Amino acid sequence: MYYKFSGFTQKLTGAAPTAAYNPQGLKLSLPAESPTMIFATPTKLVSEAGSTVEYLGTNKVPDLQKFFQTSDGVPVHLKRGYPDRLLYRTTMALTVGGVVYCLVALYIAAQPKKK
Amino acid sequence: MAHQAHAYHMVDPSPWPLTGAVSALLMTSGLAIWMHFHSTTLMSLGLVLLLLTMYQWWRDIIREGTFQGHHTPPVQKGLRYGMILFITSEVFFFLGFFWAFYHSSLAPTPELGGCWPPTGITTLNPFEVPLLNTAVLLASGVTVTWAHHSIMEGQRKQALQSLTLTILLGFYFTALQAMEYYEAPFTIADGVYGSTFFVATGFHGLHVIIGSTFLTVCLLRQMLHHFTSEHHFGFEAAAWYWHFVDVVWLFLYISIYWWGS
Repeated sequence: MYYKFSGFTQKLTGAAPTAAYNPQGLKLSLPAESPTMIFATPTKLVSEAGSTVEYLGTNKVPDLQKFFQTSDGVPVHLKRGYPDRLLYRTTMALTVGGVVYCLVALYIAAQPKKK
Repeated sequence: MAHQAHAYHMVDPSPWPLTGAVSALLMTSGLAIWMHFHSTTLMSLGLVLLLLTMYQWWRDIIREGTFQGHHTPPVQKGLRYGMILFITSEVFFFLGFFWAFYHSSLAPTPELGGCWPPTGITTLNPFEVPLLNTAVLLASGVTVTWAHHSIMEGQRKQALQSLTLTILLGFYFTALQAMEYYEAPFTIADGVYGSTFFVATGFHGLHVIIGSTFLTVCLLRQMLHHFTSEHHFGFEAAAWYWHFVDVVWLFLYISIYWWGS
């Protein structure tokens, strides 16, 4: 880590080797330009890495995003059409039927026992 | 979709809060009807309605987040707070069972023989299956972290493998616990020892099953390319939950299985 004196904060801050604060007045002979990047592995083209990208099924998310982002005013729980409507109507039928059945059962349960 | 000048999610009207509330009504009333009239029809109807609501509500959240892009950074922040608060509430849920356990075991009443474990109770050896269970859960904590780093680095194959391994370890834990319950030399009816043991470890087991289900949903979503390296909060929530279950087990192991025996 190299430091330099910041004129703004009046404190020592981090610095590149060339800009570093040298109280002894000696400048170390350091390379001015940053070293070139070295990549650990040979870079692969997307076409070469095809098998790993497609591992276990293709990506259908972009198509689904296009489909679900169409502005047709249909709420999200019905947006897929028929299967959504079928499931929704089944659930609502059970909800309404269940409430009626529940109220009847509770009414019967609330009657005094006849002896 | 109308243009909006903010990043918050304006939700569509949804029927699921209503169907969920009705399912709660049917299950609770159904429980009373079952106890009085020996009929489980109403309770089962409530359970079916609950499962239908859960499936469709969470399906819609996936649609909103992954397909419609409503889970913007401020929305994700809200989801994070929500999950943190939920897990905090779960911590206090388990705190109650630990309180009951320590209340009973730190000052055992004369009825228990003035000792813990109570007179006549043969406990499970903490260095047999329970220690293996501890190792299994700790290992699953490692594999779920491996899965998280794989997702963050876009290593699809490794993410799928490590997530599968985590789920398998979860099911292995559940299987071992089931065997341990079957072999246990005491029952839930064996006084306060049996009650505190089976209620605490039983609710923990239920949470392991819920966590495994949550991770299985994440595995399916990972297969379907739902998670990106930057945006995968569904997985993160599952991982948080899994770590929570893991930590609860460590407390159960140290308190009930080891110190309590």
